[in-house]
Amino acid sequence: MLHRWERNPIISLEDVSYKCNTVFNGTPVKLGDEYLLLLRVEGQRGHSFFCLARGKDGFHFQVDDRPCMLPAEEGRFKVWEENGIEDPRLTEIDGRYYIMYTAVSRYGYRIALARTDDFETFERLALVSGPGNKDGVLFPEKFNGIYARLDRPLGNNVGSIWISYSPDLVNWGHSELVICPRPRYWDSFRIGASVPPIRTGRGWLEIYHGLKMTATGPIYRIGTVMLDLHNPAKMIGRCLGPVLSPREEYERIGDIGNVVFASGALVEPDGEVKVYYGAADTSICVATAHIDELVESCFLTHEFVE
Amino acid sequence: MTYQAVLKAGRDVIHRYGGNPLIAIEDLAFRCSDIWNAGVVRFRGEYLLLLTVETLEGLGSIFLARGTDGYHFSVESKPFMTGSHHGLFAQYESFGICDPRVSEIDGTYYIAYVAYSENGKRIGLARTDDFQSVERMTFVSEPDTKSGALFASKIGGRYAMLQRPWAGGSIWVSYSDDLVYWGSSTVVITPRSGYWDSTRVGAAGPPIEIAQGWLLIYYGEKDTTAGPLVRLGAAILDREDPSCVIARSNIPILAPREKYERIGDVANVVFSCGALLESNGEVKIYYGASDSCICLGTGMLDDIIQVCNESRKEY
Repeated sequence: MLHRWERNPIISLEDVSYKCNTVFNGTPVKLGDEYLLLLRVEGQRGHSFFCLARGKDGFHFQVDDRPCMLPAEEGRFKVWEENGIEDPRLTEIDGRYYIMYTAVSRYGYRIALARTDDFETFERLALVSGPGNKDGVLFPEKFNGIYARLDRPLGNNVGSIWISYSPDLVNWGHSELVICPRPRYWDSFRIGASVPPIRTGRGWLEIYHGLKMTATGPIYRIGTVMLDLHNPAKMIGRCLGPVLSPREEYERIGDIGNVVFASGALVEPDGEVKVYYGAADTSICVATAHIDELVESCFLTHEFVE
Repeated sequence: MTYQAVLKAGRDVIHRYGGNPLIAIEDLAFRCSDIWNAGVVRFRGEYLLLLTVETLEGLGSIFLARGTDGYHFSVESKPFMTGSHHGLFAQYESFGICDPRVSEIDGTYYIAYVAYSENGKRIGLARTDDFQSVERMTFVSEPDTKSGALFASKIGGRYAMLQRPWAGGSIWVSYSDDLVYWGSSTVVITPRSGYWDSTRVGAAGPPIEIAQGWLLIYYGEKDTTAGPLVRLGAAILDREDPSCVIARSNIPILAPREKYERIGDVANVVFSCGALLESNGEVKIYYGASDSCICLGTGMLDDIIQVCNESRKEY
């Protein structure tokens, strides 16, 4: 249902001036007229870090000639990021930009939180989960003064989407299960949040990823779910089929084939949503749809409508 | 006995009570599948055990046992806590609750337990003042996390708790101002390749405050071709920063050797949810043997500390 930009991918290895392995899973923000993409770059060692790309139309970007955030080389974050920092997701709250990302180390992966006001310096705030949790996305608003995030712990080896709350962004609790994989569906094996929730008239729109296992490996697709506006722990709608599946060559073939993985979205003033996604863990692409279409996709009861 | 003498005798540092097991299925006034382990607390002059009892259906539940001497116990015939049917707790306790670990803070008794459901295992926190009624507070972890043990006093002005998330099989410490929102988590003790605790570790009972810091009795698993071997070890943690391990025993302080520890529902397991430090320096460790009966092992605190410290020497 999402319409691919005809000149995808928007950023890949050739667009980076320094040596690296791949570029994928970028998170967007619009500052005034300028579009910024905070990219995940995987270095040749296999450890990831972040780099910015800038553009004027949301489709054409120029990648900075040096990274903007590397794994911590000193201080208390160093040990937790020794194997890289991955999958940044940007949320703006009260004019400040928060980056929820995955910190990887010998102890496993955990969710980490940093903040920037100018996209030049990045302040690390805290490690905000135990090991074995990732795909953290921060809600852009508080609920009765409390911050909220979606995250993805593993329970019985099943990866479902949970919600957790915090008074201060550092201490988290009241976690609850929100959305599960659906047996025998396209998202039967594992799901996780992909894009920070978007406020709409009918609730919080969450663009998520889901995968099912096949004989030759997983297929990652993108779906939509609607959460109640006042009680975001409550799911009120969910897509039947995915809104994007890997079909193009650049989505089928790459470091991890058969993956489309949304990493962020922007809603334009005219209602067009630009969904930025990683393709085959190898490049960054963009696909669009109107916000109303995405909202409606959460409430369809039949696949085939006469 | 000195540590060297213990090694020579081929015995564990922890001595088994001659009357083991303390509680077996035959001692119960009700039918059940088995008894797994016990947490322990001193309450109004009595010794209270909080037993994990597996019902015939296969659900974990918690029963109280009371005694006056620490060796003989009478098990209540009705459960103290079972998987909740109310509110948010019902969803996460549908497969039962287990492994209660009790900590007293300012006259309130906090029970950290493991809640099981199809959504995994997570740590719940409940509290009681009288062991008559119990109030569930909140879940203090996401899944899959077990072996939650609350420190009996605040550290740096904050509540502190040990937890064991599934990923990595290590013991972590987390902090909270209010027992509800937790953060600043960091690793404390990891499994050690090549050792008796090579696969995964977890807190046995809540840490015990000693002059040197915190005494942590912990369990370590080593996977073998015939299944896991679960033994108990000890470590000393820094008082102000429990993520700093001052000493850790290289050898187990208790390993399955007796028949009742080798044979049962889950063979080759000694697993504890609580220990007491008596005023004469004796440590009483209440442990489950092969998930089938409750036993007592004792050792002098000084011997346990020596085992931890001796491990740092070449010999």
